[in-house]
Amino acid sequence: MLKFIHAADIHLDSPLLKLDAYEGAPTGEIRGATRRAFENLVQTAINEKVAFVLIAGDVYDGDWKDYNTGLYFVSRMGRLREAGIPVFIVAGNHDAASTITKSLRLPENVHVFPADRPATLRLDGMDVAVHGQSFGTPAVKTDLARSYPPAVPGCFNVGLLHTCATGREGHEPYAPCTLETLREKGYDYWALGHVHRREVLLEDPPVVFAGNIQGRHARETGPKGCVLVSVDDAGRPNLDFRPLDVVRWEAAAVDVAGAENGHDLLDRFRETLSKHLELNPDVLTVLRVTLQGETAAHDEIMSDPERWTNEIRATVVDEAGERAWVEKVKLRTQPPPAGDRKLDGAVGELLALVDELAGDSEALGSLSSELADLEKKLPREFKEAAEGWRPDDPRWLKGLLAEAKPMLVRRLLQGRGDE
Amino acid sequence: MKILTLDLIAFGPFTGTILDLSAGAEGLHIVYGPNEAGKSSALRAVRQLLYGIPERSKDDFVHPFSRMRIGGKLRSAEGEVLEVVRRKGRGGTLRSADDKTAVEESEVERFLNGIDAGLFAVMFGIGYEDLVAGGREIVRGGGEIGRLIFAAGSGVADLGAVAEGLQTEADALFRPSGQKQKINEAVGRLKQRRAELKEAQLPGQDWVRHDRALQEAVEVKALKEAEFAEARRSLSRLQRIKEAHPVIAGRRETLKALETVAGAVLLPEGFAERRSDALTRLRVAQTERNLATANLAGLSKAVSELEDPSGLLGQAEAVEGVHQDLGSQRKAARDRIALETRRNTLRTEARQVLRNLRADLALEDAEKLRIRKPEAVRIQDLGAEYERIVTRIDGTREKALELQQAHAAAASRLESLPKLRPVEELRRRLAEAEEKLPLEKQLAAVRAQAGELLQVCSRSRVRLGLTAAAPEELICLPAPSLETLRLCEDRWEGLERRLASLAEEVRKTEVELAETDRRMEETRLAQEVPTEADLAVVRDARDWGWRLIRRKLQDEDVGETEVVEFIAGCPGAGSLPDAFESGLRKSDEVSDRLRREADRVASKARLLADQAALRIRLAALRGENMGAQAEKEAAAAEWADVWRPLGVAPRSPREMRQWLSDFKALVDRAGEALKRAVEAGALAEEVDGCRAALGLGLQALSEPVAAEEALSAMVRRARKLVEKEDGIGRQVEELARERERLAGELESARSRLDTLEEDHRRWQRQWEQAVQPLGLGAGTRPAEAGAVMEELKSFFDKLREAEVLQQRIEGIDRDAAAFRAKVAALSNAVAPDLAGRPAEEAAGELQRRLTTGREAQSKRQALQKQIGQEQARLSEAEIAVAEIEGRLQAMCAEAGCKSSDELPEAERRSTRRRQLEDRLRQEEERLLLLGGGSTVAEFIREASAVDPDGITGEIEKLKEEIERLTAEKSELDQRIGSERTELGRMDGGDKAALIAEEIQGIIGGLEQDAEHYARLKIASRVLAMAMERFREKSQGPILKKASGLFSRITCESFEGLRADQDPDGNPVLVGVRKGETETVPVEGMSDGTADQLYLALRLAGLEHYLDANEPLPFIVDDILIKFDNDRAAAALQALAELSKKTQVIFFTHHRHLPDMAQKLIAPELLVIHELGV
Repeated sequence: MLKFIHAADIHLDSPLLKLDAYEGAPTGEIRGATRRAFENLVQTAINEKVAFVLIAGDVYDGDWKDYNTGLYFVSRMGRLREAGIPVFIVAGNHDAASTITKSLRLPENVHVFPADRPATLRLDGMDVAVHGQSFGTPAVKTDLARSYPPAVPGCFNVGLLHTCATGREGHEPYAPCTLETLREKGYDYWALGHVHRREVLLEDPPVVFAGNIQGRHARETGPKGCVLVSVDDAGRPNLDFRPLDVVRWEAAAVDVAGAENGHDLLDRFRETLSKHLELNPDVLTVLRVTLQGETAAHDEIMSDPERWTNEIRATVVDEAGERAWVEKVKLRTQPPPAGDRKLDGAVGELLALVDELAGDSEALGSLSSELADLEKKLPREFKEAAEGWRPDDPRWLKGLLAEAKPMLVRRLLQGRGDE
Repeated sequence: MKILTLDLIAFGPFTGTILDLSAGAEGLHIVYGPNEAGKSSALRAVRQLLYGIPERSKDDFVHPFSRMRIGGKLRSAEGEVLEVVRRKGRGGTLRSADDKTAVEESEVERFLNGIDAGLFAVMFGIGYEDLVAGGREIVRGGGEIGRLIFAAGSGVADLGAVAEGLQTEADALFRPSGQKQKINEAVGRLKQRRAELKEAQLPGQDWVRHDRALQEAVEVKALKEAEFAEARRSLSRLQRIKEAHPVIAGRRETLKALETVAGAVLLPEGFAERRSDALTRLRVAQTERNLATANLAGLSKAVSELEDPSGLLGQAEAVEGVHQDLGSQRKAARDRIALETRRNTLRTEARQVLRNLRADLALEDAEKLRIRKPEAVRIQDLGAEYERIVTRIDGTREKALELQQAHAAAASRLESLPKLRPVEELRRRLAEAEEKLPLEKQLAAVRAQAGELLQVCSRSRVRLGLTAAAPEELICLPAPSLETLRLCEDRWEGLERRLASLAEEVRKTEVELAETDRRMEETRLAQEVPTEADLAVVRDARDWGWRLIRRKLQDEDVGETEVVEFIAGCPGAGSLPDAFESGLRKSDEVSDRLRREADRVASKARLLADQAALRIRLAALRGENMGAQAEKEAAAAEWADVWRPLGVAPRSPREMRQWLSDFKALVDRAGEALKRAVEAGALAEEVDGCRAALGLGLQALSEPVAAEEALSAMVRRARKLVEKEDGIGRQVEELARERERLAGELESARSRLDTLEEDHRRWQRQWEQAVQPLGLGAGTRPAEAGAVMEELKSFFDKLREAEVLQQRIEGIDRDAAAFRAKVAALSNAVAPDLAGRPAEEAAGELQRRLTTGREAQSKRQALQKQIGQEQARLSEAEIAVAEIEGRLQAMCAEAGCKSSDELPEAERRSTRRRQLEDRLRQEEERLLLLGGGSTVAEFIREASAVDPDGITGEIEKLKEEIERLTAEKSELDQRIGSERTELGRMDGGDKAALIAEEIQGIIGGLEQDAEHYARLKIASRVLAMAMERFREKSQGPILKKASGLFSRITCESFEGLRADQDPDGNPVLVGVRKGETETVPVEGMSDGTADQLYLALRLAGLEHYLDANEPLPFIVDDILIKFDNDRAAAALQALAELSKKTQVIFFTHHRHLPDMAQKLIAPELLVIHELGV
């Protein structure tokens, strides 16, 4: 029985994004995550005694310039060579952009498809034909699949392709192709790369995005890994997903509707947390926590977001120890609907002013002048990366204003009314 | 909104305390409570009624959380009234006045104008601490108008602190030119990590360059290694050939020399040595032989020259004997002198002793003085006896004297004793009295018992309530019998039981009735259940209506008043048909309800029936109870009659049973007491008789007797008297005996003294006789006689010793004469030349000559032994010479020589041949070695082909080549090493990747901080904007009101307030002094004035609010405690003024404030409440 692994989008050494280490955070557990995931890939191939490994592009991250990454890749390929496992690779857009690939000498068990034309590689002693074409430049806009050779009769035919398929949100529209084109080739399996979310586009023949092997930011959630394909004697491929990731990103949305106070809210969070921990017992889970819903505790938490962010982090440290990390806490709660009575007096004036500002984008813009000093000081990579910093965006300013309002009211009326 | 009542149902210290706050239009309500009265709890209750009780309330010290309740009645501006109860809990804490039905929170919120708890506390509450904080804030803010107006309008006392807090927090995060702020620091760290990342990243071309360089170096090194090996090989060959050239030449020479010694005999190893050894030994043997011969001649001559001492040696023993005697002779001569001296000395000493004893006697006559041993012994014995006699005489004399004195003392003591009195009569009477003595004790005991019994009787009597006192009377009292008692008791108990059972029945019936009432009430509360009577009433009403309508329909005359009356009976109805309809509906409703709730009706009817039955039963039971009571009273009266003769008020029969038994005991005790009194009288008589008899005895001895003296005391005194007289009698007897004994002893001592003195006289006679031979008189003392005897003994000792010495001197003289004769005889025999010499000298010379003779004798013997040895040596040497000469002849034959002289030449040739053959072999071995595998002949041919002159140059060239190659190789090794190191550093490590991760971490943190910073900055800005805007809108009216209030509260110490500008041109608030243009900046105001300014602003802000909004109660917490009386009065008036617009609830601990208010404020505005738990 033929067995092989289909992986893609390894992005070796690209860092996990914006994990701010806080007191008690398991910093040791997130180090070198992409390498450790890749290690898992190699070990899985050896353990499963697969016939070959397919990598459908993006071994490297495009703008990553450390040649050590390439050397590390070569050393891991060396282990597969020792185990007698050949590797077939098509270069993806990131590989094409990478300076590392240019001069790297790969061991003889690694076969990289040419970029100028599609090629077919045969595996010694087995009726397997692998078809593929690498990206020559970072942005390939043509349909590469169209010119792939026809299936080799009597062989198990595999198509290896880096593509956006029919287009996927959040991914560059490179080497687009249609399922029709792919099906017409008559191959037995299409191993696709580029799109980081795992997806089976077609059942027969299987057209599969393996997804990346390690999530790198809050939007790449859930288990990540490779597809182990077993071809039975009738030539039918069976797909088995194998998680490889060591750090798993999850969106923890906590519905706090109706929570009476901050402590209720923490209880709700604790429930959500334990669900996630149950779901992912073996890997470190990185949570983006979003609190949402109408709650009487809105003013309480919004008046001191730092404190409640830290409360949530502390809860995670207490409950999960080294097993979870809070990437970010988004407070998206709403106050319960208030009567439409207009308040008079000085505080009423303040509230009215906030509402007025929120509805006036010009006034909002003028508020951003308060941030000009900081804006000047912040480095470029921060501004590129930070979702939480858009001083020129009135919507962002409006959000801030909404958060500032309860904080201000609480400070003014602090400690009154409930002595 | 106005709070009409505050019902402190269960809150803090309160249980069911109601504050009625409804009086007055709005009203200034002063709630006075001293400390601990719960003022603070009441104050909290006002707010918590409206907004709920907080999670962690402190007001649970009496009522637990679950029971906490605050009730209240509120009235809105429109007159709507809401009555609610607030409980503590998490949700749904509001209930209607019955504390059962839940009330929506929004019901209360409608009264609150959208003001939440925090805002209510701040805007509609002011406490002493707020006042102080506000005053301080005014001074700190320098009177900045925007802040003051906003503070006045919002009630926020510490506005400045809030604004500054925002700024401080933002500054801690970021400052444009800071380093240490959180964001600044993170940005710095980010830059640093970026630089580190660049450093850590390995560019791809570096690796390729190093890899290629390594490959090249390895290849070049291989080439150089090959060249190096070839050069080394050539060098080695040339060096071998160069070394072989001289060897080949040498070999040629050797071969030529070998030819010259070809015929030489090869002698065995060691031949030459053997030959040389033989010759040497031959020479030694010959020399030995010659030496022995010469020695023998010399020795024979020496022997012949020695003399013969044999004559002297024959007398050797005699000579030695004389020589030995010589020593003792010399010693004896020296001893004789010493002996002579000693003898003379002794004689002189003896003479002197004699002169001392008897000057008349010469030494020779001294023998007369010698006394015999028995005489000497007698003198010694008598000396000893003298001592004994003298001692005894002295002792006896002393004893006699002592006895005489003791006798005199005894006599005088006997004289001094008192006279004896006759006591026999007293002794007899005393014996009789002692026999009767116990009776006296018995009398006391009987009397005590009688007294005790009387006391007990008296106590029992009082306890029993009896008036009769004496025992005789008690015995005769008429007590009721036990039977009477039992009959009464039975009757009483029967009555008691009946009463108890009636009471229990009444109680049970009452409980049952209460339960029935409760169930009735329950039924009523569940919903009023209509009764048949109710139905009858509504039906009657309906029928009445119908009758009216019927009459109308039939055009009969209907009284309008009746119609109106009927309509009035049906509320809401305007006309007769309406009213009839309503009546019809009501009757239907009641009958429907009766039907629908038939069960409940039935149960209600049952309950009503039960209730009636129970009431009747209760009345009957109560009647019966009263009868039983009357009977009980009659029995009690009869009972009292029974006891009247005793003068006792009886208690219950059961209790009187105990009384009766106590009474019996009392009577017994009284009888006993009487018996004891009689007994005591008899005893007393007997004792008195006895006393009188003893008294007579005492008086006879003229001892005084007192009438009251007890018998026991008299007995003791009489006994002491008798004992004293007995003692005196005994003393007289003893002293008389003593005096007689002493007189006897004195007599015997005197007779013993006489005997001793006779002994002494006898001794004196014997002593005279004994010492006469010594020439001593009768008066000589024994000690003197002893000393003379000692002298005599010493004198005779010395004479005897001198005699012994004389004998020894004569012996020495005899020995000296014998020695001289012996020497003379010997000299004559062996040395006549010595005749005539003194004996001692001759003896010495003879000894010396004997010694010399002996020496010559031993020398001769030694020489003869040497001669024997030399003769043996000579014969040995001659044998050796012959043996060696034979051996040499054999060697000559071996070497082919005629004589031994030729032998050395033969040996030299043999050696030469052997040497040459060795050298040749060595040379060929060397060549074989250098030949590197070739045979000697081949190698010689090969070497010969090379030019010896050019070979050195060739070798130098090759060496240079090798040196060059070595250097090149080493350089290549270094290059390979460094390239390998470089490549080794590029090990695929993840340092750069880890830094990139860290950068991401920093960005993550930075994002949160930046967001927080933005929030703070925006909040700060919005607050400033709000202040400014509120100032623009409200400055005029608020300032105007505040100005008036300030003037009023400061008792017009200030005329008012004014907006002004500070030196920097900022708008500020200043105070205006009365009647002057002078202004006072807020910094110039005292703390109290600043507080009052804050109060003025707050009241102004509140009034301004109230101008446009519905009122809410203003809660004031003891703000006037630091105001002086005038300003406190002014402030109270200001509050009273405010209370026209809104309810003011003023809590205070201070008694004088409500009093002051009562004097100042119109009664329709003021209500005083006093709190007490």
